[in-house]
Amino acid sequence: MVTDLSACTSVARQLMAQPRTSTGGSESRIGGGARVRGRVQGEGDLVIEGHVEGDLTLRGHLTIAEGGSVSCDAIDAESVTIAGLLQGEVAASGPVQLAASARVRGNLKGSAVTIAEGARFSGRLDCDFDLPQELGGSAREARTKAPTRR
Amino acid sequence: MASTVIGAGIIIEGEIVTDEDVVVLGTVRGKVSAKEGVTIQQGATVEADVVGAGLVVAGTLTGNITAADRVDLQAGARVIGNVKAARVTIADGAQFKGNVDMDV
Repeated sequence: MVTDLSACTSVARQLMAQPRTSTGGSESRIGGGARVRGRVQGEGDLVIEGHVEGDLTLRGHLTIAEGGSVSCDAIDAESVTIAGLLQGEVAASGPVQLAASARVRGNLKGSAVTIAEGARFSGRLDCDFDLPQELGGSAREARTKAPTRR
Repeated sequence: MASTVIGAGIIIEGEIVTDEDVVVLGTVRGKVSAKEGVTIQQGATVEADVVGAGLVVAGTLTGNITAADRVDLQAGARVIGNVKAARVTIADGAQFKGNVDMDV
């Protein structure tokens, strides 16, 4: 892929920070009839339509589809979309999204967290907003201890 | 289209149990059990006992294979373990070390 080199560095940096959705063929799927017990780790995007019991460490985007469920101690991913069931803690470097069908019990941490209307969430939200150094040093943290239940 | 796909960058340490298909392009250590087909593609590494209806291996597999229907070891496959299935094919170019049991 050859692009305009002058804009390349900043774009490349942005691209590298994003989940690599374009690495063709690297998407993985745990099908609806599948149950995985154990540790899942690696690179690439993962869609869970079945059941996973165990920790997930992913350099990529994790989707827990509607009908899918995960129970674990910790999920570590670049970004996470949840439309299914989750019991466990999420730590994402990017955004975390809870769709309307999500049922989540556990703490969420991400660069941004969105909760759609209809989603059920019980746990703690932890979002860090980094301010520039000259505006107040390190990170200002907006922490919401919210046992939100809808 | 397979129901469960373990992509090239993914490592699973544990057990996969499914009543559908499994395709492995990455790494699985533990156990794989499917009611339908299991495909271990070229470049994949599986260190696990594998149970399925039909098994196609083109990657590296260390472990025992039990298939309800058939096992096909394709060219490029490297298999260490015992194979138990009524029908077994080993293609030219496949490496295989182990026992074959076709009296199922």
